[in-house]
Amino acid sequence: MSSQALLQSSRPWLTGMRDAIPLLGAYIPIAISFGLISVQAGFNAWETVVISTLIYAGASQFLFVGMAAGGAPLWLTVAMTLLINIRHVVYAPNIAPWLTRNRWWPWLMHGLTDQIFALAHSRLPHMPEQQRIGWYTGAAGLAWGSWVAGSALGAIAGDWMIKSWPLLSEVMPFALPSLFLVLLIPRCTSIRWVLALSVATFAALALAVFSYSNVAIPLAAALGAAAFYAIQPRGGSTT
Amino acid sequence: MSGELWVAVLVTALGTLAMRMLPLLWMRKRLRQQANSDVDALPQWLGILGPLMIAAVLGVSLIPQQPDTTSWSATLLGCIVTFGVWYRSRSLGWPVAAGVATFGMVIVVGSML
Repeated sequence: MSSQALLQSSRPWLTGMRDAIPLLGAYIPIAISFGLISVQAGFNAWETVVISTLIYAGASQFLFVGMAAGGAPLWLTVAMTLLINIRHVVYAPNIAPWLTRNRWWPWLMHGLTDQIFALAHSRLPHMPEQQRIGWYTGAAGLAWGSWVAGSALGAIAGDWMIKSWPLLSEVMPFALPSLFLVLLIPRCTSIRWVLALSVATFAALALAVFSYSNVAIPLAAALGAAAFYAIQPRGGSTT
Repeated sequence: MSGELWVAVLVTALGTLAMRMLPLLWMRKRLRQQANSDVDALPQWLGILGPLMIAAVLGVSLIPQQPDTTSWSATLLGCIVTFGVWYRSRSLGWPVAAGVATFGMVIVVGSML
């Protein structure tokens, strides 16, 4: 949806849901996988749904059920799970300038995943103030709902589904990189930004290829920032 | 699930929520304090880190589920088509749909060869 269409939207929550639809291509297959793994680790369907509803943080949920099932000390399980999520601390301050004074905003941060942050960071600045909370609620609510529903589905019928449609679970997650690409292209406004974003992208890719997925995101972003500051801007501009 | 495990789930859930919520409260306070100041409320490094985090998440998500030649080719072509459709449409949905369709077609064709 274009920026102009956003400005004219009379149902911002619906626009938010529409904007979040590409996320479902990745959320649902991954949530189904989580549900399946959670059941295999000894949690029942109800417990799996509670974990997805309350923790709601993709990779760290896999780690949580894996460590708990493996008999790791619970304090270590909690600490490692939170450590993976530490990157989330920079998300809310980045979108704070576009959030209104509504008292519900802090609670709505429960839905601020990597993907919703990326979407909100690109869309909120182009939206009238009064539409922002509706848009965010629609987008984050759909993503959250799909994650919980996918987890439930995976816990109940994940094994059968993955055997029946293996191609679907392989193809649909490509919606995620495709969406991130679309969100990042408009940020390539100078050589400095192109290089910094490229360094972050390829560093994360390399780290993840060598099985360092958990540290890939913060480390790659730090390398991108180093590249950004290493390149002198033209005309003295900092960004 | 044991009582101890339930507590671990709740502590993890509250910790994750705190990591998402508390920085917003801190930033709101900073924005209020600096409303009448010339200094930017958002520290420059934090504003730069936002897009770079998205780029890093992109990098991690580029790795296919079955990392073989076909999947990497599908990833490359899917990205090219996504960019091409975005360049023409400047929209969100169509580039993603076209990228996924291309990725899927390459996977199907690759599996038939």
